[in-house]
Amino acid sequence: MVGVGALGSHVVQLLRNERATLRVIDFDKVEQKNVASQFHGKPGVGKPKVLALKQAMQFLFARDLETIPHRLAADNAKELLGAGDLVIDCLDNGASRRILQDFVRTAGIACVHGALAADGGFGRVVWDEAFAIDDEQAGGAATCDDGAHLPFVAIASAYLARAAQEFLATGRKIGFEINPGGAIRA
Amino acid sequence: MVAANEARVNVTWKGQNGDLPDTVSRDANDGDVRQWVTEAVRGGGVPGIAADARADFTDFVIDRFTANDARPYNLIQVRPKVPFGA
Repeated sequence: MVGVGALGSHVVQLLRNERATLRVIDFDKVEQKNVASQFHGKPGVGKPKVLALKQAMQFLFARDLETIPHRLAADNAKELLGAGDLVIDCLDNGASRRILQDFVRTAGIACVHGALAADGGFGRVVWDEAFAIDDEQAGGAATCDDGAHLPFVAIASAYLARAAQEFLATGRKIGFEINPGGAIRA
Repeated sequence: MVAANEARVNVTWKGQNGDLPDTVSRDANDGDVRQWVTEAVRGGGVPGIAADARADFTDFVIDRFTANDARPYNLIQVRPKVPFGA
């Protein structure tokens, strides 16, 4: 799991019953504003997100995580992702997604991407074979940090977790196009 | 029934989703598709999407999907960019 912010943090807790080893990768720290929109609570503020999530998952569910508090880069992608059977992309920027995509395509590792529109009005769960990276709009765009889109973030996270669960169980790759009013299988 | 040389156009705007009432040529260019959906949404012509006189699809992505067993018609999807995850 690369990126454990709004989408990724919720996906991790939804995958807590999977028998797979869950490795979470994120260089960022929990900020106060993240508490409104991410599966990070006040006790985690100031800590690396992966460590805060590990502690929360241990405390709430006795579920262990492997944690990597580093930024994914081209020169560490093999070390961080190379042993995985499935990479779940919950990154928030095109540059990092490009590094991830280049690696999984070269290494032949299954990868599913979770992606949200800035206005909380659309989300996608797309397997890498069909995923085209959308860069952020020029001048920046609103993010989910104010918590206004939390229910939709949670819905999109559930579909992403469902796609991962299906792949882990059967190897089938299912994707979704998600609107606030519902979702369709892609 | 959508002819093989036509496509259904699906639009997402401000969390609402709907199809244009009419199919279009599957080879319609992006500029034409943008213009059609802009006019349709501004005029309230897309079932499921409330009329919005300020609808603007300039920065939207236009995806094209060929008919398959699960979806037996060509689909052109007009959607917002999805750059965010974490």
